[in-house]
Amino acid sequence: MTVATAAPLRLALIGNPNSGKTALFNQLTGSRQKVANYAGVTVERKEGRLIAPSGRSYALLDLPGAYSLTPSSLDEAITRDLCRGFYPGEATPDALVCVIDATNLRLHLRFVLEVRELGLPMVVALNMADVAARRGIRVDRAALEQALGVPVVETVAVRHNGAKALVERIEALGASPHAVPPPLGAGADLHTETRRLLSLAVTMPARTSRIDDALDRWLLHPVFGLLALAVIMFLIFQAVYAWATPVMDLIDAGTAWLGEWVKTGMVDMLGSVFGEGFRTALADGPLVSLLGDGVIAGIGGVIVFLPQILILFAFILALEESGYLPRAAFLLDRMMAAAGLSGRSFIPLLSSFACAIPGIMSTRSIQDPRDRIATILVAPLMTCSARLPVYALLIGAFIPQQKVGGVFNLQGLVLFALYMAGILSALMVSFVMKKWRRDKSEHALLLELPSYRMPHPRDLAIGLYERAMIFLKRVGGIILALTILLWFLLSFPGAPADATMPAIDYSFAGRIGHALTAVFAPLGFNWQICIALIPGMAAREVVVSSLATVYALSAADDNAAAQALSPILAHTWSLATALSLLVWFIYAPQCLSTWATIRRETNSWKMMAVSAGYLFALAYLASFATYQIAVALGAG
Amino acid sequence: MHAALAVQYLLIACAVLASAWIVMKKQFPHATRRVCVALATPMVRDGRPAWLRALGRRIAPPRGGSGDGCSGCDNCGPAGQ
Repeated sequence: MTVATAAPLRLALIGNPNSGKTALFNQLTGSRQKVANYAGVTVERKEGRLIAPSGRSYALLDLPGAYSLTPSSLDEAITRDLCRGFYPGEATPDALVCVIDATNLRLHLRFVLEVRELGLPMVVALNMADVAARRGIRVDRAALEQALGVPVVETVAVRHNGAKALVERIEALGASPHAVPPPLGAGADLHTETRRLLSLAVTMPARTSRIDDALDRWLLHPVFGLLALAVIMFLIFQAVYAWATPVMDLIDAGTAWLGEWVKTGMVDMLGSVFGEGFRTALADGPLVSLLGDGVIAGIGGVIVFLPQILILFAFILALEESGYLPRAAFLLDRMMAAAGLSGRSFIPLLSSFACAIPGIMSTRSIQDPRDRIATILVAPLMTCSARLPVYALLIGAFIPQQKVGGVFNLQGLVLFALYMAGILSALMVSFVMKKWRRDKSEHALLLELPSYRMPHPRDLAIGLYERAMIFLKRVGGIILALTILLWFLLSFPGAPADATMPAIDYSFAGRIGHALTAVFAPLGFNWQICIALIPGMAAREVVVSSLATVYALSAADDNAAAQALSPILAHTWSLATALSLLVWFIYAPQCLSTWATIRRETNSWKMMAVSAGYLFALAYLASFATYQIAVALGAG
Repeated sequence: MHAALAVQYLLIACAVLASAWIVMKKQFPHATRRVCVALATPMVRDGRPAWLRALGRRIAPPRGGSGDGCSGCDNCGPAGQ
């Protein structure tokens, strides 16, 4: 058996959160990763393959971050159980790679000592060694290695070849995987031992990093800090719109060209192969309509938002990598606590601006169950990126492009107001929940503020690649399937011989839409909107393409069908209806995927029903009030 | 009916059925699994023709299932071991 074909040694990366563990994992495994969940729980499991220069393959597991093996969270419990071999379905790792932050050794060395007590072969990766050196923190690696009794290597996870020494140590460990580290002496205390290690091997500079202190003086200031956060958020949203436009226009043009080609080029091409009869049958047949009006228009209408999603995630990943996000959470803690949330809710709520699903899933980092439930319930009120196309469509059609006060763009202000309405509603809902529970207890926010660091392009690229793949898989799966189903429901059955209305009125979807108007007429919704709301429950982006398909199929002729959706809406809807639909989408009951995620994350059907019910009620009441007031003011 | 039109309707029928199946699997994974089990069980009973048993085995869902199919990101089910 050669080294390349031998059973791979199972290594587990273990370490405190923010130790650079995941960056090191990315460095070691590249794109050879598999992301899933641990069986039975919703904690992410990342496994990858490391192929060493010798050709030997290692299975590398990125364990959830843990501050201690005496768990206070699900993540820590999984890490402990897996290392001890108690976790169902998971083999005990053959060896551990304990990743520690060289700039924060007081915290991380204590954990190393805990991990050493597990009695598994291990290597300590002294990560961010370069940053520590720049700050004047001198670590005597050899002395530390001798004192710990386990190999210690310096790594710079964000630098190419920054883990070379680690790979060499892993290779050595692979040759003798049974070298067990020495246990802590009887009666020894972890904190005392940590202090001893620090005194033996670490020389700290007289003061902590000047850069961190200088930045924190401003960025954690109760006034300037909040101001800086507001400016950062403002810039992110500006960039999402400003930077994405050229690429979005390109995707739009590509979609239009492809749709046109299917209707003419493809028909001519197939006609030249199979004959004129086939060409005529294809040109007048339903397949071209399915491909052109259904698949290409629908999928193109959704893929166009990929640039915006990637820009938003690039900022979120960069902020996360830079160490700023925990500081933002710290800044907002007081404000969010007053509304019944905590600073830890900040990151899940921020993620929800892209999509409520990752936002809800990231509430796993909130240890307090009460805070976690409150965050899950309000996360769908953050304006997810899937709502952007709906807002953009309606604002473009109904809000005039004019300046307010000579400076601000009216359309931009309306969009900002819609986002703010979502945020304020979330704060109000969580405040009501707090009052409802009569909860006066305080949950202190304990956060480790990591040192500032420059985000590494490689990690950003890997994060964005993962995000793009997730989105494209969704487009190619559920969204494509829904688009085809909607086209079918809008096209069949055809109109009877004595039809007096357009054919679409006789279709399955047409009939459903007309039936639903009984419920939604008080909100000013017509049957076309009612139809679009149904596929929108599976993916909100589909509302725009559904409206486009409905109006294209309702059109009297090809010229009318080819008209852009925006002027059609401006011509056929009242302002009151448009405002009502905009307000509906601030609260719009979540998509089915969000329902499923809430049920899974809370393990409760009741919580899912509460969430869906209160959002539907809010959406209905707010839209009803908006429509009725607008009509009373003469906008109907 | 022109053969070309018949082919189009056949393709559309396939696309619509496949789409319905995908939506069912994504949105209602447990119900879909139960339907598969209910369909497959009578097919694989002793005494059934070999082709029917083979078909039943194809329809039967894999052991262990595949998460609860939130359809959010297609990326959160347990790893296939």
